[in-house]
Amino acid sequence: MEGEGILQATRLTTLVGLLERYSPTGNEAEAVAWLVGRMRALGFTGARVDEIGNAVGWMGAGPYQVLLLGHIDTVPGEIPLRLEAGRLYARGAVDAKGPLAAFVDAVAQVGEMPGVQWVVIGAVGEEGDSRGARFLLPHYRPQMLIIGEPSGWERLTLGYKGSAWVQVTARRTLAHTAALAESACEAAVAFWERLKQAVLTFNQGRSGIFDQLLATLRQMHSDSNGFEERAQLQIGLRLPPGLERPELEALLTAAANGDTWLIEDFIPAYRAEKNTPLVRAFLAAIRAQGGRPSFTLKSGTSDMNLAAPAWGCPTLAYGPGDSSLDHTPYEHIEVEEYLKAVEVLSHALRGLASIFNDHSGNNFA
Amino acid sequence: MMSTHCPECEALIEVNEEVQLGEILVCPDCGVDLEVTALEPFTLELAPMEAEDWGE
Repeated sequence: MEGEGILQATRLTTLVGLLERYSPTGNEAEAVAWLVGRMRALGFTGARVDEIGNAVGWMGAGPYQVLLLGHIDTVPGEIPLRLEAGRLYARGAVDAKGPLAAFVDAVAQVGEMPGVQWVVIGAVGEEGDSRGARFLLPHYRPQMLIIGEPSGWERLTLGYKGSAWVQVTARRTLAHTAALAESACEAAVAFWERLKQAVLTFNQGRSGIFDQLLATLRQMHSDSNGFEERAQLQIGLRLPPGLERPELEALLTAAANGDTWLIEDFIPAYRAEKNTPLVRAFLAAIRAQGGRPSFTLKSGTSDMNLAAPAWGCPTLAYGPGDSSLDHTPYEHIEVEEYLKAVEVLSHALRGLASIFNDHSGNNFA
Repeated sequence: MMSTHCPECEALIEVNEEVQLGEILVCPDCGVDLEVTALEPFTLELAPMEAEDWGE
């Protein structure tokens, strides 16, 4: 498929329609309304905008439910849609409208299957506070969960690191600079140096990035009211599996040396089991398309971190696209890869339907 | 029962008929992960390795 006619190709209508509608976090409504209409036009059993603003489409009646959870918001920075050498450039092409569009097209291609309900959700707010995914947690209890994030058509993502934001505040009474008293800024820098040392100690013996604690200093600020000076740091942390909040609090307390810190957000890491019927269905599907499957663990965070532990079902993330293009000005997706991913998804969904029908009554975990 | 050899260490691996396509087995001799890539004939290949990747 080459040439400008590609943009009109029926098999790309969902992808192009989403990419044409710029939808940074907080401004997803137009894209959501369009996607709901698109799912209805494709023959979904039903589609609607839910109470938080997510686009939701469902096909079939169950009782088993496979939830395909993508996100429809993007980071800011519009990239007008254009086609170059078989690549579609646009904001969200890989993160994550490509995977979301592939979910919709695959479910439409597979159609209703006995005993199974496919639910496709384009969640809002994933690049922000994940309000779309958080809203879903008490309302669904799927038997299997597929997260829509770019993994490349031959790869399955099994885990994401966790993340935390920490604000550090150091306060000191103002003193003359000739008095040699520690300033608030010096105290904040000392905090950062102690935390870096604690992170190095924590990471001893941990060879992989996924298993390491990573800390980055994101912002520094200082001010004074004439009597007291204040220095603040914003620290971003990427968390390995097993690092829970109390352990992080202990690290921060040890680094603080009396200064204050506040964990503003804490999302634990998640690593999915690979020996599940869900993974098996995808391995077979990738091989059926001539691919050589592989697994990946990501340093970022996704809605898998929230939804998978809440629902406790077999989980993976899948979607076309190169995740190294996430959030970059060069974001694009290969058309051929997109179409391959739709075929892999369709094959995998058919495989899951047969598993449900062969093993009715199992919990599939 | 079905059987084949581990592609890594040649150990004999026997499974019952309930084994599934795509299932990941562990070689009892060398410990490597093996993927069931065909049932007829019963075929094992080295399972995909877990790589690490930046991004979402």
